[in-house]
Amino acid sequence: MALFADPVGALGGLVNRQLRDLGAAVRFGLVAVGYGFRGLFNRRIYPRRDLIVQMDYTGARSTAIMVLLGAMVGASLVIQMTPSLSRYGPPELVAGVVGVSVLRTLGPLLAAIIFAGRVGAGFTAELGTMAVSEEILALETMGINPVGYLVAPRFLAACIMLPACTVLFDLAALAGGYFVGIHQFNIPSEDWFNITKQFVKMSDFTFGLAKSVLFAWLITLVCCFKGFHAKGSGIEVGRATMQAIVICLILIILSDTVMSLVYNFLFRMGIVS
Amino acid sequence: MSPEHSNMAETRSDGTPVSVGPAISVRNLSKAYGDNKVIDNMSFDLERGRVYVVMGPSGCGKSTLLRHMIGAEEQDSGQVLIDGMDIQSANPRQREEAKRKYGVLFQSAALLNGLTVAQNVALPIQRHTDLPQSTIDLMVRLKLELVGMGEAADKYPYEISGGMKKRAGLARAIALDPAIVFYDEPSAGLDPVMIGVIDKLIRDLTAKLGITSVVITHEMPSIFRIADEVLMLYGGRIVFRGTPQDLRNSNAPMVRQFINGDPEGPINAPRQLADLSERLIAGSKRKEPAK
Repeated sequence: MALFADPVGALGGLVNRQLRDLGAAVRFGLVAVGYGFRGLFNRRIYPRRDLIVQMDYTGARSTAIMVLLGAMVGASLVIQMTPSLSRYGPPELVAGVVGVSVLRTLGPLLAAIIFAGRVGAGFTAELGTMAVSEEILALETMGINPVGYLVAPRFLAACIMLPACTVLFDLAALAGGYFVGIHQFNIPSEDWFNITKQFVKMSDFTFGLAKSVLFAWLITLVCCFKGFHAKGSGIEVGRATMQAIVICLILIILSDTVMSLVYNFLFRMGIVS
Repeated sequence: MSPEHSNMAETRSDGTPVSVGPAISVRNLSKAYGDNKVIDNMSFDLERGRVYVVMGPSGCGKSTLLRHMIGAEEQDSGQVLIDGMDIQSANPRQREEAKRKYGVLFQSAALLNGLTVAQNVALPIQRHTDLPQSTIDLMVRLKLELVGMGEAADKYPYEISGGMKKRAGLARAIALDPAIVFYDEPSAGLDPVMIGVIDKLIRDLTAKLGITSVVITHEMPSIFRIADEVLMLYGGRIVFRGTPQDLRNSNAPMVRQFINGDPEGPINAPRQLADLSERLIAGSKRKEPAK
């Protein structure tokens, strides 16, 4: 009703709330980064065992899905692009197109989306449940900083394991594409490797890895922040999880676009090749 | 009062400071959520080594008061002093120091599900001391034995009953030998025998360790069993303060209504519910077919 009575005021209030939440979330993320690195030298912030547990949960247990989906994405790319490329040149060109697109964009992007769905949702659900059952408040009353204790090891684990998962996804996608290219479209193996070497540069790979670190930070920040602020009941935890994943997807794709523009700018300036 | 102020005015013969004055002082505390004033200019002192019960109908401000006393929420105005220190205006180091002075037993016990009972109890000790692990293990064992949970040390919270969780939560709350323990609805969801066990623990801990206990509850048998003094809240204010005997003898209509569980009286919420039940009964009678 307030929206109709005072639309400008309602809009102002909405913007104000969103900006306040954004500020709180960014502060939360920066505090997590600080505790993450301090925790490597100070065992009181979080137990070292928690970092290992989180690395296992976020990375080691994601390998199967990364390999499976990566291989399917690579294969699908080759199947769909080879006939189109054949109209304009030799079909071997698909090796280069797949190499660049997977390493620079598709690999980091899709690995991050899978990571958000598998790991990020788990973060929100787990921390949200802890929030509604007063476990986070209990940590605070014990003088234990819950961001340091709960978020910092998750942040570090994600920043290490998402790039690792991205490498795995990239390799699986390149292997899947290679396998289909060789067997389905009869592209000679030697030609495939030669074209790939001509097209793909080391900067494509490092650029993709840099993006995956940013995505890891965004996923941890959004999912842990949403979990921490879940209130009430299990329904709210479910809602927070859904919101976290939607925000993650938007931020991942948005930041990928921005990073691509930055890369393009640096390329034009001759800073990267 | 500055956050540096503390009730450490006297010293023992060995030079260590002795706390004097009230364990908890609440001064002109006010808190509102929007237009709803939950705590209205509340002031009281709680002395050391006694069991205080804070009771009152749902929504009267008990939980909000507790959250202010444990520093989990920021007040609109006023102060909460724990051992003379204002937690809200203290710097992080002082606040951390102040948090060692009290433990909290939450309604759900709030044990960390990823840790065993023993690891839960060890958590505050590991965080706040440099003791070797063998000493910490010994301390944990002692605390768990104190609450009769020695057998369940290696179990996870989801493997034990509600009463055991409460006792494990209590062991964690007293892990650092705090001067004050806050109990949020310690008897919620427990059977009468287990309520008796928890009540006895609260009394024993207060007597043996000299702890100041602040218990939020509306379980009347528990109140009469454990309380040295009772504070009744209503509408964000203290409407009664006295011993359990004073409570029993009180003729104040609000107190009588609460003790007797009477739906009719000055406390509003039950009245509205009583009206609702009358309307529902009247409505269902109208719908009955004529015989």
